[in-house]
Amino acid sequence: MHDFQFHTPSSLEEALTLLEEYGEDARPMAGGTALVVLMKQSLVSAGHLVSLARVPGLDAIQAEDHELHIGALVRHRDVETSPLVRGFAPFLCDVYRQVATVRIRNMATVGGGLAHADPAQDPPPAYMVLDARVRLVSRAGERVVPVRELFTDYYETVIQPGELLTEVIVPRPAPTAMFAYLKFLPRTEDDYATVAVAAKVERDGAICRNVRVALAAAGPTPIRATAVEQALEGQPATPALVRDAAEQVADQVDPLDDFRGSAAYKRDMAVVFTRRALMRVLGLSS
Amino acid sequence: MVTTTLHTVRVTVNGVPREATVPVYRTLVDFLRYDLGLTGTKEACSVGVCGACTVLLNGRPVASCITLAVQADGAEITTIEGLADGERLHPLQQAFIECGGFQCGICTPGQIVAAKALLDANPHPTDDEIKEWMMGNLCRCTGYYQILDAIKRAAEVRG
Amino acid sequence: MSEYGIGRPTPRVDGVEKVTGRARYAADIALPGTLWGKTLHSPYAHARIVRIDTSAARRLPGVHAVITGADTRDGGLWGRGVKDAPVLAYDRVRYAGERVAAVAAEDEDIAQRALDLIEVEYEELPAVFDPLEALRDDAPILHPDFNSYVGFRYKQERPSNIHHRTHLERGDVERGFAEADLIVANTYVTQRQSQGHLEPHSILVYIDPSDGRVHVWHCNKVPHFTRAALAHTAGIPEERIVFHPTYIGGDFGGKGNSRLTPIAYYLAKATGRPVRMISDYLEEFMAGNPRHHVIVRLKTGVKRDGTITAHQVEYIVNSGAYAAFKPYGTIGGANQAAGPYRIPNCRIDSVFVYTNNIPGGFVRAPGEPQGVFAIESHIDEIARRIGMDPAEFRMKNLIAEGEETPWGERLEHVRAREALQAALDAAGYHEPKPPYVGRGVAIGERGTGAGEGTSEIALYPDGRVVVGTPIFDQGTGQYTTIVQVAAQELGVPVERVRVEVWDTDAVPSDSGLAGSRGTYVNSTAAYEAAQEVKRALLRLAARELEWPVEALTYADGAVRRTDTGEAIAWQELVARAGEPVRGRAHVEVPRSHTTAFVAQVAEVAVDPETGEVKLQKFTTAHDAGTVVNPIGFHGQINGAIAMGIGYALMEEIKVEDGRVTTLSLGDYKMPTMRDMPPLTTVVLPSEHGDGPYHIRGIGEGPCTPVAPAIANAVADAVGVRIRDLPITAEKVYRALRQNDTTKG
Repeated sequence: MHDFQFHTPSSLEEALTLLEEYGEDARPMAGGTALVVLMKQSLVSAGHLVSLARVPGLDAIQAEDHELHIGALVRHRDVETSPLVRGFAPFLCDVYRQVATVRIRNMATVGGGLAHADPAQDPPPAYMVLDARVRLVSRAGERVVPVRELFTDYYETVIQPGELLTEVIVPRPAPTAMFAYLKFLPRTEDDYATVAVAAKVERDGAICRNVRVALAAAGPTPIRATAVEQALEGQPATPALVRDAAEQVADQVDPLDDFRGSAAYKRDMAVVFTRRALMRVLGLSS
Repeated sequence: MVTTTLHTVRVTVNGVPREATVPVYRTLVDFLRYDLGLTGTKEACSVGVCGACTVLLNGRPVASCITLAVQADGAEITTIEGLADGERLHPLQQAFIECGGFQCGICTPGQIVAAKALLDANPHPTDDEIKEWMMGNLCRCTGYYQILDAIKRAAEVRG
Repeated sequence: MSEYGIGRPTPRVDGVEKVTGRARYAADIALPGTLWGKTLHSPYAHARIVRIDTSAARRLPGVHAVITGADTRDGGLWGRGVKDAPVLAYDRVRYAGERVAAVAAEDEDIAQRALDLIEVEYEELPAVFDPLEALRDDAPILHPDFNSYVGFRYKQERPSNIHHRTHLERGDVERGFAEADLIVANTYVTQRQSQGHLEPHSILVYIDPSDGRVHVWHCNKVPHFTRAALAHTAGIPEERIVFHPTYIGGDFGGKGNSRLTPIAYYLAKATGRPVRMISDYLEEFMAGNPRHHVIVRLKTGVKRDGTITAHQVEYIVNSGAYAAFKPYGTIGGANQAAGPYRIPNCRIDSVFVYTNNIPGGFVRAPGEPQGVFAIESHIDEIARRIGMDPAEFRMKNLIAEGEETPWGERLEHVRAREALQAALDAAGYHEPKPPYVGRGVAIGERGTGAGEGTSEIALYPDGRVVVGTPIFDQGTGQYTTIVQVAAQELGVPVERVRVEVWDTDAVPSDSGLAGSRGTYVNSTAAYEAAQEVKRALLRLAARELEWPVEALTYADGAVRRTDTGEAIAWQELVARAGEPVRGRAHVEVPRSHTTAFVAQVAEVAVDPETGEVKLQKFTTAHDAGTVVNPIGFHGQINGAIAMGIGYALMEEIKVEDGRVTTLSLGDYKMPTMRDMPPLTTVVLPSEHGDGPYHIRGIGEGPCTPVAPAIANAVADAVGVRIRDLPITAEKVYRALRQNDTTKG
């Protein structure tokens, strides 16, 4: 690996100052699981790593009445096992549990994962169907961005140099909300998904409300399948409707050929798993 | 002009304070193996997938090949060398021997350290729980059946 | 089960070392002043090397040596039996990943920076990647000087890319096809599989300035062969080289390959310092020597009643750029593609073709999974075409004791039908199945490897029993085997016996480990050594106690007089003598015609919407001799099946224009604990086998029928036949959709 300066700021202010000072030549570092691999492969050569490990206040999980706040430095494993998260949105625990292996989950952080912006990751579509937001802080101020607007391209987000993602804010799901996350792993159990679908529906009798569908590994960013959502919104849930709605996802995804499947296959599987996720959420069988 | 930034990394390994001054890009596995001479931890895939480099960092299993030594500064680390109590083997080590949970042995330190973390967190895991936890520890020799047996045997022995 | 050793589940004698992390592998050895070596690889599949400029690399502080092909070419081409590979490329490169330069530096990072500073100018040449294209008259010729190479039995009549071919014909194939009611022809294609040993190639070489001796620590299981190859290349006598024992972190065929050895030697020579080279896993994929990509074309004639009238095999091996990484330049599988069936008219042709790809190497049962995948898939298809159950078809056509195989070998102790029946019974093959669940059967056979071995047993006055061996164990448990033998023969508990591993100075030659020969060769050597040491004890008793030697025998740990009934325990006798008693044996055991059949049944559930294949259950039945150590025996079976499952369903080294694209274990997936199905193992022991304990090899046989058993199960489940490995969900999905459209 190349040489670099390793900074260990002990306050958020100090961290932000360093990030602003070194701009494009600096990378914030949380767990490092993605960053260190990229550095070993010489795909990243930042001259300055700003470790967030000693910055206080970023590793808390706080449940308020209407919102759950998850600090950026909270480890995947800690979300998975948190009684607070389980009481607030157990769906999120189940999704984090499916990330990689326990070893990776012990190091990788919520914020680091989101900032890494690999479209095959599991948490982003889960946050999208939860209508979660992230807080981005810089020396100039702060802004809150919905997760669905966070990702712009492969490994790219709206986070500017000098900005840090400090927390994820998850609104309390409606009591009638049902969730599902299906991760298609045809190769081996330890893999990124060929395609994955997160879905949420709030049942109002037979009517579907506030439908959310988001996919991983289906394009340059996690995809909100708005056409699918619109096809179901306000409609009574039936297998036929779900089948037709799921077909809409084919035009919304833009997957790549890779070792986990060709683009054409992933597109077909996006339809299958969108349908299956919605059927599961709605408690329907075909 | 090629620079090398050095850091002094201080850790407690298997209960013993250790330190060394190393380049900033030194990975934890290289730090343990070459700077501290603890060659029990192995490096195989180098990208955090295979689990051969598993050590406990503040009690949690991590991939030491994708952790920088500087990230571990101030931490407590447990490696395979820290499991036995003198000549008395840890129940997991004993069980791996009895059940044939290894052949070539290269993945074994990582397997045992990961399994120790499992039994510390969950003393009576089901088969599915063992498989989920141990999924990140690859073995090319055993086909895993005897590793599963060893972990179950150790769980029984520990009580 | 005997009282002392053979047949008892025996915990491995290297157990404590391995579970405590004390076991030392080549990468763990430290010498003061060790430098790191690294290699530079060609990005081009076929190119002339116009110019290499290493001056900037040499100037980098911390760099001690930079070498290129110019520095290594005088040693000749590298290889064990066949030599066609430059140590470092000169004049041209023939595959993307070929090593063109090497550096030795103070640490790994400086070595990498030095590599980045080496400038190489290449002039690309037309490349050929497909073996069928490489056979064409207008294909670029990779080795114009082929006939001058050492070790090849084949000589080219005119320049081509063929480095070996075989032809075998028995009976009259054309007449056989004419007699057939149905002819079935198919092509099967298999992929490159990595050995996947978790220990990457590691070596440390140190040339002692005081005596010029070359000390090597290397993860190499055939150190005597490698010593010979290094001596040849370095132009020094073999005796000057010594390989020191280390544990080996997995082999599967890859650790007989010594591709780093000469490079590390040249760096050690150039720097005067110890040089360590450890491939990272990227290098293992990018420039490794995987299982060969093979094209198998089969054509079979059958009668409606299931009798096979003729069979033809065309076995085309994509060798890659060099043959040297297969010890004798070839792999098996062509004969296996005819299978252990009664075939009166048979033609088997194989051709080994150079292409601009990474060179293939030896991987567990080299060539056999390819051939067995083809024939066992093919047999199933034929059976279904004539409306016969595939298991029944096999029962009808498998050879029996005394019959010849299609390639003319008379195998001994044939229990093919018994193994098959045992697998079918244990798997519940005929039980009703839910929709989309299928069962597939496959069978294979493999004999026990042969070779040369040495062992010495020493009994010490303090009661120690030590078995000496030149074997560097790679995980297959040979040390435990010879301990069991010593315990068995001397009547001592296994815990009393220690192993001493010798360096290569100890014996002039040894076959090392490979080809499922380990247990047979080394148990025989240990057995003979035990007989020698017992004879020595008798002679000692005769001398020390003035007993008549003709009345002496050894039993249950003591020398006994058959005339008076007096006895003396060996410990007492040896303590009395005050010096150790030794018995040494050198054996060369021949290949026998005893074979071992493995029959397997895979049960899968296929998701018709996605093509995903889930393994529900796997059954394996083994025709065996004596099982020396059940723990080790089952361990080998389990591991071989895991490797077969990976080969069948998920493993593939992917290549684009000759460049490997699967470059890490994130890209190339091997089975995890969670991927393994419930396994039922049936063992049919017998008294027939090789050597004094009547054993049969087990290391490789179980991995060959796995892929076709799974392919056959998929066909049974959803009626799709996948003829190229691995069987991915996507392939099954496409085939299902195609079936849908054909049905209309």
